This record gives sequence, structure tokens and C-alpha cells, in this order.
Amino acid sequence: MGQVIVITSGKGGVGKTTATANIGTGLAHFMRKRVVMIDTDIGLRNLDVVMGLENRIVYDIVDVVNGECRLKQALIRDKRFDNLYLLPAAQTKDKTAVSPDQMKKLCEQLKEDFDYVLIDSPAGIEQGFKNAIAGAEKAFVITTPEVSAVRDADRVIGLLEAAGFEEPKLIINRIRPDMVKKGDMMDINDILDILAIGLLGVIPEDEKIVISTNRGEPAVVDEMSRAGQAYRNITRRIEGEDVPLMSLDVEPTLFEKIKMFFGFRSKR
Amino acid sequence: MKNIDKKMFLEFGGEKMNREPVAIKGTKDGLTIILYKNTEFEKVKNVIYEKLKKNGEFFKGAKAKIFIKEGVLEKKEMEDLERLLGNFGISLKKDAMLKAVPLPTHFTTTTLYLKKTIRSGQKVIYGGNIVILGDVNPGSEVLAGGDIIVLGALRGLAHAGFKGNKSAIVAAHRLLPTQLRIADVIARPPDGKHETSKVPEVARLKDDMIIIEPYYSVLENNKSNQEGNQWVR
Repeated sequence: MGQVIVITSGKGGVGKTTATANIGTGLAHFMRKRVVMIDTDIGLRNLDVVMGLENRIVYDIVDVVNGECRLKQALIRDKRFDNLYLLPAAQTKDKTAVSPDQMKKLCEQLKEDFDYVLIDSPAGIEQGFKNAIAGAEKAFVITTPEVSAVRDADRVIGLLEAAGFEEPKLIINRIRPDMVKKGDMMDINDILDILAIGLLGVIPEDEKIVISTNRGEPAVVDEMSRAGQAYRNITRRIEGEDVPLMSLDVEPTLFEKIKMFFGFRSKR
Repeated sequence: MKNIDKKMFLEFGGEKMNREPVAIKGTKDGLTIILYKNTEFEKVKNVIYEKLKKNGEFFKGAKAKIFIKEGVLEKKEMEDLERLLGNFGISLKKDAMLKAVPLPTHFTTTTLYLKKTIRSGQKVIYGGNIVILGDVNPGSEVLAGGDIIVLGALRGLAHAGFKGNKSAIVAAHRLLPTQLRIADVIARPPDGKHETSKVPEVARLKDDMIIIEPYYSVLENNKSNQEGNQWVR
């Protein structure tokens, strides 16, 4: 029996899909788990694109719940990892094409076969969100260090608690240590102060994410990517390992190194 | 314009244009009026009017039901029809509305002509051929009973001959689809970076495989010099 985890945020563009792709790939590749990712953003599907699987789609989640095809037919096996699957969203329908009850049944079915069922939620708190959380047992809330994203995360945590989720876990995305140091960005503790839930991981801003998203290859497998490292740590924490937060200190720039060399004390 | 859009996304059976849009049949439950509604509603109304007028008072007091073979009847059009039938003393049984199951139709030469970009999330289905003067973007779907011709970049999903017509083709000024389907054969481009052709191309079925050829070589008596065999599935 696997676990069903929803990844949600309230606000759009904070990294739900990227997180789903990276955590899913991480669990499948590094932890050797059987993982299925469900894209519930019907009408604005993205997870297939981020995973580079768009051209393999024949059936989608709406076809499955309407009985147009068998569940196995709609599952797309990842092109790199044999134990990683994707159930894509439909693009030409809308959120009302699936009901929370249907999602529940679907998740029940999938967790028989898989160790992890990861649900990529759409932005917002309407029907799409209700569908996404319907079949889930655990929730990861993702936010960025901006007041608006934190506000929406707070709202979503409230809704999750009202829906019976016991301990949603927090992922803070796109932290820029240099800006935090200068006091220009909320730091981890400011965010935890407001949201008061367990922290699952902190992902630094990393331009490799843009590259990997455009290529359809999750950054978690990129040894050189700092965001990838953060996602690798998250997958280990999900598996119950005690991994300390990675150091977010940035390498001093060449100019700063020169300053240090000449004896100027860096402010940082 | 809005109306045209709505009709465009409906599934049509691809019937011949010259068929009578209306047939009236007498059954033991009363009259059955069969509508092939890919004709304009005004024309349908006129035909019904002519037919009823010819028969004079013969239908007076009869009950009629409407059987829509193709297309949809809007509420306002329905009320219009009811009024028309009322004038001849015919009452309309609205609860007995029948919707036909689309039957597999023969392939015809009717063509849907679109002058716009088909964007992500949009889906065009048509029983005949489809010609698009514009681009077909990724995330969109174009399904035709016959051929699909795109005078722009085809980057979305195209399904020619979706009712089983194996001789259907997909042609595009730039043929770069996410996925191609002809009849029941599915193909997708190979993974990773690959050379994209800079000439118009045509995809067709050959021995149940989708092959892609430059348009010019198709012109030269089907001499193919660049078969798309690297396409999978």
C-alpha cells in the first residue's frame, strides 16, 4: 500500500509542477520506489511538458474516469526511469470533467500498485484544488519567500487542515541567500513563524531549473545543480532519513575574493 | 462570429451538402421530423414549411417528435420550430427528443476551412478535410475524417482519418507535431534534439507505418527520398 501525497500552493508559479517532477523522479531514481505522478491541472497541463513526455500522450485522466480506457493504458512510463509513471491531465477539457469522488477512487486504485502517488495540484482553491486533495492522505505545501505566496500558502494550509490533513509539510522554493543576507528577502524563520508547520526542505534559486524544465529533464538528477541537491535531500527526508538542511551560503564572487585578498573585510 | 466558433468545435458527420436537410416520416406514435442540421436553420425551417404546406390540413392534430441526426438545435430554434408546427395544428412532443448516435459515415470531400491560429487547449473535430490558414500550436488537437492541411506550422497533435480512413494525409508548411495519428496508427518524433525540416512535408501511411516526405518529392510522382522511419510507435 503506497502513500498519496498532494503538492499544492494556492498561488500559481511558485513551483508545484517543478517540485512534483523532481520529487517524483528523485523517489524513483535514488530511492528505487515505484512512483506515479498525476497532473490534475486539467485544461492547463504542464507536468507532461516538464517531464518531456508530452508527445507520448494518448489517453489522459479524463478518459480514465469516464471509462474510455483502462488506467494502465493511460499511464505513461518515463523515458529514463522504468519505475516512474505519469497520468497526464486533459488539455481540451476543464476542471469539472473530474469529480472529487472519482479522484478518490483513482487514488485508491493507484496506491495498490505504487509506493508513492504524487498529485500535482492546479493553482487556486476551487474545484481543481478540491479534486487534487480529495484522494490524498498527505500534503506538501510549496511557497516562495514573498508575502503574497506565503499568504496564499497560509490560506491553503487552513483549507487542508479543515479537510482533515494532519500535518502538511512545507517546501520553501527559490530562496536567494544573498538577498536574505542583505535583508531584502524573507528568511526561512520569518516564513516558518507565520505558517507554523514542519519544514520539508528549502530550495535555492537556481537557473539550472529553467534549463532542465525547458529540456524536459528534472534537475534532481543533475549532480551540479544546487536545486537538484535540495530535491535529493527532500526525497531522502520523505523516506524517513534525517538530513540536515543544506548550507545556503553562496560562493563569494570574484570581485569579493579580490577585495578579501586585499584585506577589505567583506560585510557578508 | 461566436456562432461560427461554436459550430466549428462540434462534431459533424461529414455528410454530402446536397442532401435534403429535413425528412418527415409518419410512424404509429405520430410524426417524426428528422433534421440533418448542418444546413442553416432558416433553410431547414423553409423546407419544413414547404413540406407541411403541400400536405394542407392532413397533419392537423398530429403529434410530432424531432430527431436530430447531426448538429444541435438551440433553444431559440426549438421554440421557433414549435411555433411553426403549431401554425399547422401539430403539437411538439419535447420530452421525446431523440439524439442520433453518430453513425460511421463514408468519407466525403467536404472541407472545413479555418483562418486562425489553433491554440493550446483548443480542439477542432470535423468529419471531412480540414485546411488551416495559420499555426497549430502545441497542446491543441486537430481531428479530421479526411486530410489535414496546415498552411503554417503544425506543432500540436494532428489526427487525420480519425474514423479509420487509412488513405488520409497530414500536410503542413512546417510539419513539427507533438504527435501524429493517421487512422489508428500513432507516431511521435524521436527523443532528444533532432534536425527539423525546413521544407513543407506530407505524412501518410505506408504499410501501416507513418512516413514523412518533403512535399516536393510527393509532387515528383511519389518519389520518396527522406522517409521518416526514425519515428517511433
